[in-house]
Amino acid sequence: MSFTRKPGGKALDILQNLPRISLANLRPEPGTKKAEKKRGRGQHGGNRSGRGHKGERQRGNRPRLGFEGGQTPFYLAIPKYGYNEGHSRRAQYQPLTLNRLQYLIDLGRVDPTQPIDLTQLVNGRGVTIQPQKRDYGVQLVGEGAGIFAAKVNIEVQMASEEAIAAIERNGGMVTTGFYDPRSLAVLCKPVPFFISGQPIPKRMLPGEDMVPYYTDAANRGYLADPEKIQKARIALAQKYGYILPDISKDELFHMLSMIKDPRQIFFGLSPGWVVNMAEKKILKPTDDKLLQYYSS
Amino acid sequence: MPRCIGAVLARGLQRSLTLFARGQQICRFSTIIHHQTVQSSVLTIPAWACLSAKAFLVGRVAPLIPSLVLQPSRNLTYISLKKGKRKSVKSVVKRFMRLHCGLWIRRKAGYKKKLWKKLPARKKRLREHVFCNETQTKLLERMTTKFWKRNLFVNDPYKKYHECVNLKV
Repeated sequence: MSFTRKPGGKALDILQNLPRISLANLRPEPGTKKAEKKRGRGQHGGNRSGRGHKGERQRGNRPRLGFEGGQTPFYLAIPKYGYNEGHSRRAQYQPLTLNRLQYLIDLGRVDPTQPIDLTQLVNGRGVTIQPQKRDYGVQLVGEGAGIFAAKVNIEVQMASEEAIAAIERNGGMVTTGFYDPRSLAVLCKPVPFFISGQPIPKRMLPGEDMVPYYTDAANRGYLADPEKIQKARIALAQKYGYILPDISKDELFHMLSMIKDPRQIFFGLSPGWVVNMAEKKILKPTDDKLLQYYSS
Repeated sequence: MPRCIGAVLARGLQRSLTLFARGQQICRFSTIIHHQTVQSSVLTIPAWACLSAKAFLVGRVAPLIPSLVLQPSRNLTYISLKKGKRKSVKSVVKRFMRLHCGLWIRRKAGYKKKLWKKLPARKKRLREHVFCNETQTKLLERMTTKFWKRNLFVNDPYKKYHECVNLKV
């Protein structure tokens, strides 16, 4: 029998005969809306409406938080001590665990075939850096060193020894580089910076207290001697008990060995250049003085 | 006459007095159209103030002493005027420190006072940094904002205390 079946069938017939949907016909799904608890009403909750009996409590005139009736309050009786003194002048580094890094790589938010930079991490929403709040960058933390299995060329601002060992064990490269606050802001949000039309600034060198950190090969500092870094890699491999893979024989050796110049903020862009996002052009300075300044 | 009154008054009252003098002169402007030039020195006090000078001035000026005028404000601001945000109480920030595990540490009251009469054991106890109890912790948490509840400083002397390790609950 040729019987054309309509999809939906009887339900569609019913629906076509029902009146138009309006506010009068709608009702929330049972169980979604819970009745708001009205405080202090009814036979047992009423009378004083849950406010107590007379006094400041019922009349809503209680003194400020911490007040102890005139006695020197606890928070004032304790002597001052410089726990938080100078906190606004201290550098902060957002932690990045190896767990998180592996997670980002696995999900494809960060590309391990290119050098991993703070810009890449921020683009992949891996970390949130606030240069205005005294953040000086990202620190690599060794949590998750056991499960980390990715070959990456990563550049951070600080790194713990275990994190460096975990990355080098997998055939990667770690570098620690310093970014002054202005360069850090440019690095974290490059597009708004390019739109502003300013020339790329040159990265400043670290302050007196951070120079020993960045010239130390053990921290893989960007100002350290490359030979010493090689020795440090071997020493670390011996310390943590793994065989150091030879990167030079790797197919991605060129990518893994890419390191930025101490004055460079972006790979492939020099300080002094102006990037025009709208017309997709790069403008380079030609004046001698400017060239001298930006290459110093 | 104004000069001798000026000499009698203490230096600390100069500022309050100039405010007072200027205030009085401004009041006069509304009533008298023809006015004299306003001079902001202590010595130009309106003529009618000289009459019962000492009693009048001391009575009006005593409450304007800085220690009585500038009282600290210990209130907690729940909603600020400009940004509508909650504010921390600075006295708490200057005296206590919050570790990331939720504990607050403080110094003992009197750790610098009259140490000559305190025995070594007592001095040692006073030198220690101690934790705050639950009620105190709840109070301090309410008096500070989340800005003070996480720090990622490098070379922080309290770094190893921020997390509880080997805690058996």
